[in-house]
Amino acid sequence: MQEGRVSPWAGPGTREAHRDELSTLLGRVARGDQEAFEAVCRLVAGPVFGTVRRVVRDGAQSEEVAQEVLLEVWQCAPRFDASRGSAMAWITTIAHRRAVDRVRAEQRSAERELRAAAHAVAYDDVVETAEANLEAERVRRCLTSLTELQRESVTLAYYGGYTYRQVAALLGIAAGTVSTRMRDGLIRLRDCLGVTR
Amino acid sequence: MKPGRPEPPTLAGAYALDALTGADQARFESHLARCPQCAAEVSGLREATARLAAAAAEPAPARLTEQALAAAAHTRQLPPLTPSAPRRWRAGRLAAAESVGRAGSIRGLVFRQVWTPRLALAVAAAAMIIAGFVGQAARGAQHQLRQDQQHSHTIAAVLTARDATMIRAPVRTGGTATVVMSGRERALVFAAAGLRSLPSSKCYELWLMGPGGDKPAAMLPEPQHDMTGPVLASGLKAGDHLGLTIEPAGGSPHPTSAVILLLTL
Repeated sequence: MQEGRVSPWAGPGTREAHRDELSTLLGRVARGDQEAFEAVCRLVAGPVFGTVRRVVRDGAQSEEVAQEVLLEVWQCAPRFDASRGSAMAWITTIAHRRAVDRVRAEQRSAERELRAAAHAVAYDDVVETAEANLEAERVRRCLTSLTELQRESVTLAYYGGYTYRQVAALLGIAAGTVSTRMRDGLIRLRDCLGVTR
Repeated sequence: MKPGRPEPPTLAGAYALDALTGADQARFESHLARCPQCAAEVSGLREATARLAAAAAEPAPARLTEQALAAAAHTRQLPPLTPSAPRRWRAGRLAAAESVGRAGSIRGLVFRQVWTPRLALAVAAAAMIIAGFVGQAARGAQHQLRQDQQHSHTIAAVLTARDATMIRAPVRTGGTATVVMSGRERALVFAAAGLRSLPSSKCYELWLMGPGGDKPAAMLPEPQHDMTGPVLASGLKAGDHLGLTIEPAGGSPHPTSAVILLLTL
């Protein structure tokens, strides 16, 4: 078996093709096609593992969570509805949710420290991987079009796995302001990336 | 509205980022189920978060896929959703499909049905309401307690009904009403928080307002620790609205003052 691919969205123009491919494959997975499931895993293992690791941090735990995500994709494929969003968004949503659930479950048992350093990490990590990943480069460019508060709110929540109330505490601003910045930031990101939905 | 508690529509971004928890999340999901535009917005924002995920991609260990394939080989898949699923639940379907991640247990293979978020809400509300109710009942006289127990059975039946729907709305004169209704049980459970206190000469009265006229449904009890209810209103008919008015103590056969809450059921 090969190493997981870094990104299913290797460059401009291929994104839509991959999107359709993934959606079609999921349709086959929904009918119990294990070969299609293997292909789906190859396409999404990179984003799934990367997203989970970004939030969970610990490598072994991230693998465990990522594996749960892939198995959930298998189990829930019959319920994927392409009219509701892309296959990739469906899968990465599962991945991110499981990752934050894992982190928050741990927080409950041993309150995780809210280190100020966390903010820098969340954003800078994306920049570091940019060379290896064109998608990351596009996202990085679009993230710079956000205001600082929007960008911090979005990245702390997504890559840091923090709740908006925790983000508010980290940034020292009102929770209501953070929720607005998250929404505005994501809208701007969506428009900048040319998301078609 | 309490300060520091943003209005649901502004929470779409936080929700798409999985940055809502507990009551914030429950509140937004109940809003989402009734707001198709919000569901569409969340779906668009999810596409943006998917790109954040893609940007974070890194090479995954090969054993990840191998193990997932091995596990899939002996794991049963969920049945698809069918069009016969009650229509009302379909509005909440996006949230439901998304919540599978939380509700499902890979090892136990226990997955909730499509109505999970609302059921979860109803159950959470039930736990809250019943806890308050039991406390209240315990303070009552013995015969009252028996009556209350009967009541609480019926209330529990509504709260745990498969088709339980939760509505939360502000009361014009202050406070927030929470209603869990079940068409199947033809009943609803009403509870409220922070209702303005009334002089002893007045009381709150609930009405089922339908095409056939206004029917008294229940009188609200005195609040306990700022919580009113729960009260049960049964005999719902299609097209009924739920109304709340302030009436002279003892109640009225027909509403005699302005409606301070009107919900379409």
